[in-house]
Amino acid sequence: MHRYKFFHILIFFFIASIIWAQESATTETKGNAILKKVDEILTPGSVEFYRKLINEEPNGNKKEFIFYSVKKDRDKVAMLYLSPASDKGRATLRLGENMWLYIPNVGKPIRITSLQSVVGGVFNNADIMRLDYSAEYDAINLEEGTADYILGLKAKTRTVSYDSLKMWVNKKNNIVKKVECYAASGKLLKTLDFKNVKDFGKGIVRPAVIETTSPLYKGFKSILIYSKVNRKNFPDEVFSINFLPRLSELR
Amino acid sequence: MTIIKYSFLSCRIIPILFFWGTAFAQDYDFDIPEEEEKAKIEFSGNLDARWAVLQTNKSSPFYGLNFFGMEKPDEYLSQYRLDFYFNGDYSYKQVGFTIRTFTEYTHEGSIDLFIFELFGNLNFSPRLTMGIGKRRYNWGKGYAFNPVGYVNTEKDPENPDLALAGKSSAFIYYNRSFSSGLIQNLTFSTIILPQEAYILDKYAGLDSTSLAVKLYLLLQNIDLDFMVFIGKNQPQLYGMDFSTNLMENFEVHGEVSYANNEYTPVIQDSMVQMTNRDGFSYLLGLRYLNDLNITFIAEYYHNNSGMTNLEYENYLNFLRSNLHSLETELISYSKSIMTTNFRTKNLMRDYIYFKASLPEPFDWLYSSVSIFTIYNVNDNSFVLSPQIGYKPFTNSEILFWPSFFFGDYNSEYGSKQFKNKVEIWFRFYF
Repeated sequence: MHRYKFFHILIFFFIASIIWAQESATTETKGNAILKKVDEILTPGSVEFYRKLINEEPNGNKKEFIFYSVKKDRDKVAMLYLSPASDKGRATLRLGENMWLYIPNVGKPIRITSLQSVVGGVFNNADIMRLDYSAEYDAINLEEGTADYILGLKAKTRTVSYDSLKMWVNKKNNIVKKVECYAASGKLLKTLDFKNVKDFGKGIVRPAVIETTSPLYKGFKSILIYSKVNRKNFPDEVFSINFLPRLSELR
Repeated sequence: MTIIKYSFLSCRIIPILFFWGTAFAQDYDFDIPEEEEKAKIEFSGNLDARWAVLQTNKSSPFYGLNFFGMEKPDEYLSQYRLDFYFNGDYSYKQVGFTIRTFTEYTHEGSIDLFIFELFGNLNFSPRLTMGIGKRRYNWGKGYAFNPVGYVNTEKDPENPDLALAGKSSAFIYYNRSFSSGLIQNLTFSTIILPQEAYILDKYAGLDSTSLAVKLYLLLQNIDLDFMVFIGKNQPQLYGMDFSTNLMENFEVHGEVSYANNEYTPVIQDSMVQMTNRDGFSYLLGLRYLNDLNITFIAEYYHNNSGMTNLEYENYLNFLRSNLHSLETELISYSKSIMTTNFRTKNLMRDYIYFKASLPEPFDWLYSSVSIFTIYNVNDNSFVLSPQIGYKPFTNSEILFWPSFFFGDYNSEYGSKQFKNKVEIWFRFYF
């Protein structure tokens, strides 16, 4: 009798674990599908765009930069500094995990790390030269609120800037509303608020403003404003270190 | 009642919404720098106003020779100079033109204008570009030193980021990317370098033209370069370099160069003799960012054509004996040797470069601090130089930059013409 009871318990756990695994796999698949839609909306295919970065300091002062950026596929981004004059002509390139900075005076691209910040303030290089979320993160958790999906994302490799993300996505249009970035210790590093959804034309509808705050930089705020987001095809050679001095030709 | 409601709406709410919308648009609106469809002409540059206090090194033969015949200067000297960099870029479709000039002003009546770069280029496609003129090249992955910098203008390791003059040349680049496979990008560069005019200041021998070729590969996550330099009456140079990120905050780089048929000057029997120095020069370096946001750069450099301790002492003794002779001809001869045969920034064999830099320390906004040292492993002399930077306004920068030289009187840094110096730079960009 005891032997049958043991088998019943065993079978129960076996079936429960299969259902749990299947449920979990379904959640991950659905989460990753939502993440891909988020990426498609934020930077669809091959695009060019202008951005203004405003670093607001605790004393009320502001530091501003304007960039021209081009992006292709999930992991190719190049960016040219248009202002201020002290930084004009600088260019950065990101290919997957590799990043380079070109300074006209130095005359050659040098490798930089994603954790450095070439603009100061809350943003690091990986924030400014962000790849598709789905290129760097896997969805491991999905919660459904009344208006939003809440995705739990885990970095695919240890070289990614943040160990995990929590992402709020509008259920109606798959537009991201908020992202929280966490360290491996679980500490909150940054919060990104996506605002001002705007129609840029050619089917591109996305948030035009990203406000970033960090508990590590109390009183600081970084605002990234998008303009002239435009679909444009670029050859792969544009995303190479030897093209960095020529990036302004694309404008 | 309905009319009252609508009038309330139109009088109060609509203006509020309008003003809110306007205010919001103002907050998140910006002007994009003008985009011209036709020709683009851009000017840029910076002015460096520099003031320095320098402590002279009376035991240095370089000091003695450079200041020979002048009224005995004080132990401390000051220097005030204006360095003006003015750049112009023109582009129209596939054609580009670049000029970079440098003007140095030290006193009334003395303005030196230098053309750093002056070249035109044809951009056939993103894959193919060629150009001709005077252009600066910067080969190699090292920050302070570049043993594979065959076409580089020698940079000052104490200030490696400074703009420098280029070389008269013609160049062609072929750039190709691959979407899959081991090699992601390949660039083939060919540079032809005619010799500078030395006959009547207008002509040079045809057979003294040099050729430099470089192949760049992005191999998975590794930058790799292979390069060759050949020319008549020049050493044949073969080299390679690499750079890669081992972690997201840790980069390593290296260079190795082999010189064949290389001859370098040394002093033997009170004469300049050319001695054969075939062999390898190399550099190994790293860049590391720690949790405190401090960036460390460290490099070890072996310069095969550099002088040994004994050779450097012979060189100093040669200069000293000529200086002490008080004969004008010998002193002029020594000065010309200093600026022709022994003009490189690092004359000896083995160096360690180390730099630590931190942006906005102690939450001091717009400031940065750094310190670097260049240590001569052969004679244990070194320079130590902290730097404090502050950017009070956009497009302006102030640098406080002292440098201290350590070593005995026969060592490289101990024999510099200045023992110590303090510089203040005011930099304005436009």
